[in-house]
Amino acid sequence: MAKTRSHIQTIGIVLSSIPGYSETFFRNKIKGLQDHGFRVILFVDYLNTDDASFSCKVVSAPHFGASIISAIWFSFLAVLKSFFVHPKRTYHLYQLNKKDGLPFKENIRSLILNHFFLGHNVDWLHFGFGMLAVNRENVAAAMGSKMAVSFRGFDLYLSPLKHPNCYGFLFKKTIDYHVLSQEMKHDLIGYNIASKHIHVITPAIDTEFFTSHKKRAFTDTLELVTVARLHWKKGLEYTFEALACLKKQGVNFHYTIIGDGIERERLVFAAYQLDILDDITFAGKLPHDQVQKTLEKASIYLQYSIQEGFCNAVLEAQSMGLLCVVSDAEGLAENVLDGKTGWVVPKRQPKVLAQKINDVQHLSIDEKEKIITTAKYRVKSIFNLEQQNQAFINFYENKRK
Amino acid sequence: MKDKLKIAIYSGDIPSTTFIERLILGLSRKDCEIYLFGFTKKKVSYSKSVSVFAYNNTKISKTLFLIKYSMLLFLFKGKDKRKLDAILKKQSKNLLLDKVKCYPILWHKPDIFHVQWAKGLADWVWVKAFGIKLVLSLRGAHINYSPIADATLAAMYKENFPRVDAFHAVSIAIGLEAEKYNASREKIQVVYSGLRPDQMSVKLPKENPVFQIISIGRPHWKKGYTYAIDALKTLKSQGFKFHYTIIGGANHIEFSYQVHDLKLENEVTLLDTLPYAKVQELMVDADLLLLPSIEEGIANVVLEAMQNRTLVLTTDCGGMQEVIQDGYNGFIVPIRESDAIAKKIIDIMKIEEKAKTSLLNNALDTITSQHSEEEMVSQMLALYQTL
Repeated sequence: MAKTRSHIQTIGIVLSSIPGYSETFFRNKIKGLQDHGFRVILFVDYLNTDDASFSCKVVSAPHFGASIISAIWFSFLAVLKSFFVHPKRTYHLYQLNKKDGLPFKENIRSLILNHFFLGHNVDWLHFGFGMLAVNRENVAAAMGSKMAVSFRGFDLYLSPLKHPNCYGFLFKKTIDYHVLSQEMKHDLIGYNIASKHIHVITPAIDTEFFTSHKKRAFTDTLELVTVARLHWKKGLEYTFEALACLKKQGVNFHYTIIGDGIERERLVFAAYQLDILDDITFAGKLPHDQVQKTLEKASIYLQYSIQEGFCNAVLEAQSMGLLCVVSDAEGLAENVLDGKTGWVVPKRQPKVLAQKINDVQHLSIDEKEKIITTAKYRVKSIFNLEQQNQAFINFYENKRK
Repeated sequence: MKDKLKIAIYSGDIPSTTFIERLILGLSRKDCEIYLFGFTKKKVSYSKSVSVFAYNNTKISKTLFLIKYSMLLFLFKGKDKRKLDAILKKQSKNLLLDKVKCYPILWHKPDIFHVQWAKGLADWVWVKAFGIKLVLSLRGAHINYSPIADATLAAMYKENFPRVDAFHAVSIAIGLEAEKYNASREKIQVVYSGLRPDQMSVKLPKENPVFQIISIGRPHWKKGYTYAIDALKTLKSQGFKFHYTIIGGANHIEFSYQVHDLKLENEVTLLDTLPYAKVQELMVDADLLLLPSIEEGIANVVLEAMQNRTLVLTTDCGGMQEVIQDGYNGFIVPIRESDAIAKKIIDIMKIEEKAKTSLLNNALDTITSQHSEEEMVSQMLALYQTL
């Protein structure tokens, strides 16, 4: 396959499903690639009924029915199709799997599950999450494509604990990796991946949309906000403990959490036990414009996560001119520069967080404005969508800096 | 001769949890008949005085069950059937399944229907229309936090608690909590969980190379394990040697990540659930049982540790202060305070043998006087007999 710029490159992106309206990262990436003349094919495991009008070609994994009989029948058809429609690639995939020591039964299973990739020609096959590449480590090579894998926080830090050695085969391959932060790159090097194959492309936001021209009023009641799923990794219980400390010190505050999730009951009960339930609004999931309006009303943004790849919401908050106090979880210390564009507090130390919020609240208006201005400038100049699009184009064209 | 009291103990599953099974077993030795309704998870053999009217969780089993009881009610209690059908039609979201659940109760008509889990109460208020007395157990999460986060549930409690004939509270604290949802104080009777003295198992002195701490329970946030693990990080950073095991904590990504993140892999072991005997063995071997929970009724595992002469450190959640007096028969710290847990563990590590023996003796006295199975069963029976 030709690899020059004059050739229109085709990028195959692998995801679980078509990114929803609110999943701006993949939507922006695909649009950016298309705007720069790339062809994009999206490979997904599941297709929803309302996915018909997506902006690029979509290929979905086959479904084998609910019963054993239908599973056997569709598997048989998949094997036939593999061997008759694209025999060379199928044989290649079989051989590569065999070389990795995959037992015969597992190898056939891999052919059945992955044959839907093989009929397509792509220059790059890019897995959007690490776990999506598991059991598909040889698919790109069988297709004659280059392979890339993106790691986000969850799949780099949590999946290996849940599925020990899940990346055993993957990390033996010479492929390219995209991560969100230098910290993630450092941790990936810990798995014996060569540094030159790991590329940091930080997330980006629509800095035009997340802009506030309103002069921020710093009132006596501290308006705090967080945009986060209600999930343990967001560290909201620790945040609540810090707020309970503040309340005991007589600090007036109101805290709004935008987002929903499986741990709502846990968090409502925590707020109740810590006697701050009346000081918190669980706003639920909100559309972008509502998020923007809520951020506009707040003065301090908190992201006291336990685990975080990078966090777009913190970029959005900085862009909107909020003072950001974040934890030191993975990429957050690169997202916010401690003392320059916000403040970074060690995670799992609510008393330290409480103290930091208090300190920030008592800064002079000039000191606050200085941080806000620096943060806004940095986000707009480094974390904008055009920069990110260019970084991905460089990534695929091997013009990496 | 007066008929024996017929008591239905309803938890939905057969067999139920350890403590509910303990109640069934205890009552079965008394002068009453026990009925169990619901679906069979596992075959269990009970004594003659326990009658099981259960179905398997399959479509065929449920269909046959429904046909049998529909026919019996149609032929012999047609009026009652029509009355129940009308009630179910008004309130039911799944009419067929509700008939499967309710028809056998109407047919066998116990004197008392004792619901174990409050969240299901609305499904059983109908029994009162047929002269059956309704008893509700007040247990853990169903009372302590679910209605705080779920306004609909709280409203259901407020509407239906006044219809309950008697409440069994597992602690004084949970009884007070239930009063917030219109449970009448006069109808609440506290009956503590009880243990059998013959299940006592002791190993003294403990001969562990490092201080062994153990927690036992499912990997649920209410168990507060994150606070325990944070506390152990403090202990490690201060140079203390220990090992901490959470039985039931395996395969839970939040705990695995915390242990990994805090570099406690050598000090903390997360085990899967284990058979009861093995759990008892590990508990007996441990120097300290830690209950870092943020919510409990009264944790049975603490009672078992006290009976097995293992020191206990618990938070002051729920009714735990009704069992443990700090420094007398165990130790107690405030909820959600990992620093307090760490500090208290350090204090406990320094206790001399004589003081430890005294604590363990006091703990055993508490169990004997306040938590015997015999006492629990007698008090429950007395509660039923007052209705």
